Amino acid sequence: MIVDRPDSHFIFVFHPSALMGKKYTLYEGKELTNGEVLQYWGKWIVLGDKSWLDELAQKLDRYVEDKVIPCIKYDRKPPANLGLKEAVMMVYCDKRKGEEIWEILHQHGVKIKAWVSERETMEMWLPGGPLLEQWITSMNLCEEDARINREDAAARLGYIFDHPDEIFSPWEQ
Amino acid sequence: MSITIIVPGALKDLLGGSDQVACEGKTIGECIADLDYKFSDFKSRVLDEKGEINSSFMIFLDGQNVRSLSGMATSVKEGDEVNIIPFAAGG
Repeated sequence: MIVDRPDSHFIFVFHPSALMGKKYTLYEGKELTNGEVLQYWGKWIVLGDKSWLDELAQKLDRYVEDKVIPCIKYDRKPPANLGLKEAVMMVYCDKRKGEEIWEILHQHGVKIKAWVSERETMEMWLPGGPLLEQWITSMNLCEEDARINREDAAARLGYIFDHPDEIFSPWEQ
Repeated sequence: MSITIIVPGALKDLLGGSDQVACEGKTIGECIADLDYKFSDFKSRVLDEKGEINSSFMIFLDGQNVRSLSGMATSVKEGDEVNIIPFAAGG
């Protein structure tokens, strides 16, 4: 089901069970640990106009309903503060299912084949990481607020790296 | 050896207004050199002063980020597709 809350930057495609607290970071029905998320979890990146991503989300919804695709999120508008001119859709899955899901995306007109692991993404958002620092600059944060955001990122993301055997818990966005 | 380079709409200016072009090369580095010959400033826009992929872009071969392969030395073969996306899209 498509979850489109106007107050969120992102539009999500979730299985209804995810809204009832069920995890979507699964492999063969088993919840992934933090360590497994760092090893296997990631997303296919799709770029395009918002209207095209809306159409694609409608087509992919049935694969999410069938639990073939675990979760999708995409931008309501291009994130200009990160220097992007197009909206980005992220089609999440376990790398071990990655090719199966890529074939679905390709059948629906996706041409760019770009896999980004969750580990890479987390490293981009750690203190000193290029995306966190770019975001802090774009938001014109004062030194104190920048420090608070860096500490928050270090705590939240660092916890995942430091506790590999715990079951992964996605955070609210 | 013909390799296909595919970019999203927002990066078409890199390829003279096309979102897909053919190039020649046995490695990513050779493909970039060939693209620089065809499209002025391609290399200076995509590479840093050390000749590595700069922090604005990610380059993928069959879905894999070439930074996690052999970077500029990553081998390509006839028929391969190489994708270039803005770095920030990966976050």
